Amino acid sequence: MKANFLHKTIILLSLLCCIGVTRSNAQDSVASSTVLTVRYFLASNKVPYVSVTTKKKTGRKLEAINGTPVNVYFNEVAPENLLGKTITGITGEGRVALPASFKATWDSLNEFKFVAETDAVAATVPLSADVTVKKAILVIDTASADGVRTITAQLKERSGKDWVAVKDIEIKLGIKRLLGNLTVGDAETYTADSTGTTSAEFKKDSMPGDENGNIILVARVEDNDVYGNLMVERSVPWGKAPKLEQGFWHRSLWSTGNRAPIWLLALALSIIVGVWGVVLYLIRQLFRIRKMGREASLANG
Amino acid sequence: MENLQKFSAEKITNDLLPQKFGPRGKIWTASLLVVAAFGAFAYVQQLRKGLVVTNMGDYVSWGIYISNFVFFVAISLVGSLITAIFRLSNVPWRTPLTRISEMIAVSAITFASLIIIVDMGRPERLLNLFIHGRIQSPIMWDVIVISTYFCISLLLLYITLLPDIRLMIIAKEKLGKTFSKLYRWLGGFWKGTAGQEKIRDRSITILCVVIIPVAFCIHTVTSWLFATTYRPGWDSTNFGAYFVSGAFLVGAGGVVVAMYVFRRVYKLEHYITDRHFEKMGRILVMLALLYLYFNVNEYLVPAFKMKKEEEAHLSGLFAGEYAPMFWFAIMVGMVIPILIVVFRKGRKPLPMFIAGVMVVVGAWFKRYLIVTPTMLHPFLPKYDAPARYSHYFPSWEEWAITAGSLAGVLLLITLMARLFPVISIYKTINDHESELPS
Repeated sequence: MKANFLHKTIILLSLLCCIGVTRSNAQDSVASSTVLTVRYFLASNKVPYVSVTTKKKTGRKLEAINGTPVNVYFNEVAPENLLGKTITGITGEGRVALPASFKATWDSLNEFKFVAETDAVAATVPLSADVTVKKAILVIDTASADGVRTITAQLKERSGKDWVAVKDIEIKLGIKRLLGNLTVGDAETYTADSTGTTSAEFKKDSMPGDENGNIILVARVEDNDVYGNLMVERSVPWGKAPKLEQGFWHRSLWSTGNRAPIWLLALALSIIVGVWGVVLYLIRQLFRIRKMGREASLANG
Repeated sequence: MENLQKFSAEKITNDLLPQKFGPRGKIWTASLLVVAAFGAFAYVQQLRKGLVVTNMGDYVSWGIYISNFVFFVAISLVGSLITAIFRLSNVPWRTPLTRISEMIAVSAITFASLIIIVDMGRPERLLNLFIHGRIQSPIMWDVIVISTYFCISLLLLYITLLPDIRLMIIAKEKLGKTFSKLYRWLGGFWKGTAGQEKIRDRSITILCVVIIPVAFCIHTVTSWLFATTYRPGWDSTNFGAYFVSGAFLVGAGGVVVAMYVFRRVYKLEHYITDRHFEKMGRILVMLALLYLYFNVNEYLVPAFKMKKEEEAHLSGLFAGEYAPMFWFAIMVGMVIPILIVVFRKGRKPLPMFIAGVMVVVGAWFKRYLIVTPTMLHPFLPKYDAPARYSHYFPSWEEWAITAGSLAGVLLLITLMARLFPVISIYKTINDHESELPS
C-alpha cells in the first residue's frame, strides 16, 4: 500500500513538473490581464509573415483586443530593426509580412528572432513578446502506384547552404475544404521517418472536387517550437467533378423574366387579356356613344 | 331622398352644379397647393441627390413612402365598395355617395402610382419594370393591377359623369365660360338618346362587375408584396383578407369624412341626409369590427406562440418603441370609432365625421406599423451594421413628400369637386322622378 502511494505521488509530481517546464512555441508577455503573442508563419514557401495577437483575460475567457498598435522587430527592439507596424483587428490579430529590405538578412541567416512590442500609449503597460525560429521550408509530393495514392511531405531546414529533411517532425496532412481541412487518412498527424519523410495513403476517393475534379492537398506544421507554422498546398486531380443540376436555366418562379413557368404565364396573361379586353371593349363603347351623339346632332340639324 | 319631393328638377340641378370657390375654398386650395409644392420641392431634392436624402437604409428599405402607398391603395377601394357593390346589390340610398367615392378612388390610386415612382428613386427606370419585368414577382403583379384599377376607376367616373356633363354644358350661363370648352370636349357628344343610355347603363354594369375582382386583386396583391417575403409580422396566410378588410374600413371612413365636408361646404343637407350617415355608420361599425377581428388574428396568434424570431417585433409593437403608435392605431383607428358609431346617437353627421377622421388617421399609422417595424426585425441577425440602422425615422424630405402626396390627393378631389357635381344630378333627378307619385 505504502509503495503504491509513493508511486502515485511520484507520477503526480512528475506530471506537475512536466506542465511547469513545457514551453509554448511563442513566448507570451502578460501585463496585468493582457496577453501579447507572436507567431511565425510561412505559407507556400513564399514571403513569411509574423502574426501578433492581443487578448485580454476576462474571467476564464480570453477576449480579442481590437485596435492595438504593435511594432515587430528583428532580433531586438531598435529602430533600425523595425520590420513593420500593425494594428490588431477585431479578432485581435495583426500581421507584418517580412519586407523586401529584409531579404539579404533572410538569405544570410538560418535562425531568426522576432520581437513584438506594443506602444505604451495603447496599452497601459507596454507589452513585449518574441519568437525564435529556424529557417525551413515544407514540400509536398504525391505518388500513385497500383491504385494506391500516397502523399509525402518533408520539412527541410537550412543547414549551411543545403536544405536537410528534418526527422521525427509532426506534419498534418489534409484536404482543403471550404470551412477547414479534412484528414487524408485515418490519423490527423503523421510523424516523419528516419529519412525525414512523412507519408500517408490517400483514402478519400469520392471527395467532391472542382469542376475538373481537382482537390487541394495541404501539409502543415503547426506551432512548432523550432520552426513555427508552415503550410504548403498542392492541387491534384483526385476528386470527383460534381455534376451540378442545371436547374437555374429551367422555367421556375425564381428564374429570369423570360423563363417564367408556363402555367404562371398562362394564368397571368389570361387574366390580363380578360380584364384589359373588357377595358378596351368599354373604350370602344365610348366611341360608339360619341358616334351616336354626332349622328343625333346631325339628325337634329 | 324623400325630402326632395317638393324640389323641382331645376332646383336639384341648381343645387348640385359645381360651385365656384368661396374665400374658404380658395384658402383651402391655396394651402393644399403650398403643401404639394413643398413636397414637389423635396422630391426635386431627392432627384438631385438620390435616395440618400431619405433615412431608409439596408434594413428599412421600405419606409414612409411604401406605408403611404399602402394607405392610398387601401382608400382607393372605396370606389368599388360604394359604386359597384352598392349598385349590384341595388342599395337605394347610394346615389349621393357614388360620385364622392369615385373621386376619392381616382385621386388615391393616382397618388399611389406616383408614390411608388418616388420610392423607386430613379423615375426614368419605371419603363424597365415593363421591359424587363418578371411576371413571377408580386411587385410586377402590383404594377399591372394598379394600372388596371386606375383605368377602370377613371372609366367608371367618366361614364357616370356623361349625363351631368351635358347638364353642365346646358347650364353654361350659370357656370361661366371658364370650363365650358373642357365640358364640351369631355361630353359634348352626349345627347341622352336611348341608344346612348343603353350602352352607358350596360357599360356601368360591366364596370361594376369587373371592378370588384380587380379591387380585391389590388389589395390582395399589395398584401402579397409583404406576405410572400419571409419576415416577422408579414409571414401570414391571412394577409390578403386582412388588407381587404382594412381597405374597406378606411375607404368607408374616407367617404364619411368627404360626405360631411361636402354637405357642409356645398349646403347639401337635403341630399346627403342624416339617413345616409346612419346607413354609412352601420357599415362603418361592421367594417371596423371585421378589421378588428383580423387584427386579433394577426397579432394574438403569433403573440400566443411567441416564436423567438417574432418576439422582438411583437414586443416592439406591444410594449416597445412602437407601442404608443400601435395602441393609437388600434384604439383610434378601430375601437373608439366602433364605440362612437355603434350607438344611434353616434351615427349623426358630426360624430360620424369625427369617427371617420379617426378611422382615416388610425389607418395611416396602421400602414406605417405594417411596413416599418418588420423591416427593423429581419430573421437574419444584423451583423456589423451601424446603430442607426436599428431605428428609422423619416427625413424631412420623406415627410415633405408624404405630406405633399396627401395634399395632392385632397387637391385632386377638391379640383374634381370644383369641375364636376359631387352628387350625380342626372341620377338624383331620375331617383326623384321615380319616387314622385304618378
